[in-house]
Amino acid sequence: MAQETRIIENTWDLTAYQWKIESDALDLFVKGLKDKKILGRKCPQCGTVYVPGPTYCRKCFRDIDQVVEVSQEGTLDAFTVNLADVKGTIVEHPYITCTVKLDGTHSFLMGVLEGWTDWRSIKEGMRVKAVWKDVTQGALADLSHFQLTEK
Amino acid sequence: MKRNVAIISVGYNGRFVSKRPDINIPELIQPAVDTAIGKTKLKHDQIEAYVVGNMHTFEGINQPHLWASDHFGGSKKPVMRVATGGSTGASVYQAAYYHVASGMYDVVMAIGWEKHDEGDAQVGLMGILLPEAFSLFNFGPDMSEDRGVAGLGGGGSTGGAAFQAMSYLTKAHAGIEHIDRVAAMMRSNAAKNPYAHLQQPGCTEADIAKTPIISYPLRYGHTCPTSCGAIAMILVSEEKAKKFGITDRVAWVKGLGSGASDATTGNIIEGQITDPAEQYMCKVVAKKVYSMAGIKDPRKDIQVAEVYSGFSHQDLMWPERLGLVDEGKSPEMLDKGAFAIDGELPLNPSGGVTSTNAIGASAMVRVGEAALQVMGLAEGGHQVQRKIENVVAHGWGGLFQFVTVTVLGRTPVKK
Repeated sequence: MAQETRIIENTWDLTAYQWKIESDALDLFVKGLKDKKILGRKCPQCGTVYVPGPTYCRKCFRDIDQVVEVSQEGTLDAFTVNLADVKGTIVEHPYITCTVKLDGTHSFLMGVLEGWTDWRSIKEGMRVKAVWKDVTQGALADLSHFQLTEK
Repeated sequence: MKRNVAIISVGYNGRFVSKRPDINIPELIQPAVDTAIGKTKLKHDQIEAYVVGNMHTFEGINQPHLWASDHFGGSKKPVMRVATGGSTGASVYQAAYYHVASGMYDVVMAIGWEKHDEGDAQVGLMGILLPEAFSLFNFGPDMSEDRGVAGLGGGGSTGGAAFQAMSYLTKAHAGIEHIDRVAAMMRSNAAKNPYAHLQQPGCTEADIAKTPIISYPLRYGHTCPTSCGAIAMILVSEEKAKKFGITDRVAWVKGLGSGASDATTGNIIEGQITDPAEQYMCKVVAKKVYSMAGIKDPRKDIQVAEVYSGFSHQDLMWPERLGLVDEGKSPEMLDKGAFAIDGELPLNPSGGVTSTNAIGASAMVRVGEAALQVMGLAEGGHQVQRKIENVVAHGWGGLFQFVTVTVLGRTPVKK
């Protein structure tokens, strides 16, 4: 059977996706980013600090409303190195996405990692700090990246 | 559970392959059903109920059982469809087990399949991701092309798995060469399994190391293929097994369980709390399953493991989380040859998921392969030769948060 590709043109109404997941968690998070603060929520029962902070504790299954500002420094948990861009072209400066555990929190925050010269020498557990955009506007993009503070 | 349950037969539709444009989904399933029944003295009408499943959306068909039921013999009989993503096959099998163990039925067939060439797995994954991504757009993420939201994906499911791989390698003090090595072992094991998809006899670490990086530390050679294939298994009660006179070459279900933790890997929306390589629930579930199976020391009492590893680093991670190997010691075990088919703890003699992945079948293939090992019926040279008393089969799904574990054995647990 011959290979055949068919192209069907259509439209997709994206306005169906106006809903938000856990809106309180991200609303609080981006509100803090505007003032260059990282806000989360702490469970009064088990003490788990979540960033972004959901409105209930995953472990205790109870509502939580205690808002806490957390440290802007933390440790690198895991990372992956994107050696090519989304079109598959090899890039000179690889794009590194990482998960970071900010000091005093129990959840992982995802971001971009900078401040390295050779990505092969990056190790889990290295210290990082949050770096902000010059002008913040209350959006996820305000948190520019995480910078390695040790070589 | 009140009643013991045995797996008496396992059938595949044939060899797993990339594309089967010549047949449709019912035609893919039917040979597996016929093979499973053909290995016994049973007739189609003796199957009392069916549990079936595949990965939803990956084939572009959302209710395949509606038009496949006639073809596997399910017409006018109880049919239940289960779809739990990557762990579907294991969930289907567990549901079939409960059908029998509960006393509702005596002879039940479990069927898992995937016909990947009819749909697009990445489109299926996008259907899972898109609502969250569009929701995220309400909060002003960085939209610059590869440095923005698109970059966070980091290469589809491989990008997500790369975080787990990196976390595992660091904790186990291992390197990418260990992933190359275990990947090569799986591809050469697959060459001894006539049903496996990617068969590479004598595949070496260097062969895998030549393949390009997709999302560091994972290479193309560390990822699973998308396969077309089906598996069918027949589960019967102890009483019926005795009545049929088939208690010799069967695999007894001694223990089983499942669990969930929070969705892991870069879930910025929900405040992820679990390290994707920690797999706490796998440890909890395994412990419970071993106790149900009457296994005191899994390292002594379990002879073979079939683990679900869509990415090769998981072949090292799961034996540790299942309590078969000390934490961080899998690379050492691999280096001394312990995971080989003739080793101390044969790991995926079938070649595993990185060699064959028809998603809705894969987690059940782990159980089916475990059953064949217990029965001594694994074909083509991948049968473990030493005496086997118990085999553990494992499955995972979702964003690394769902886990299923089963122990099959040569003798039933005394009730």
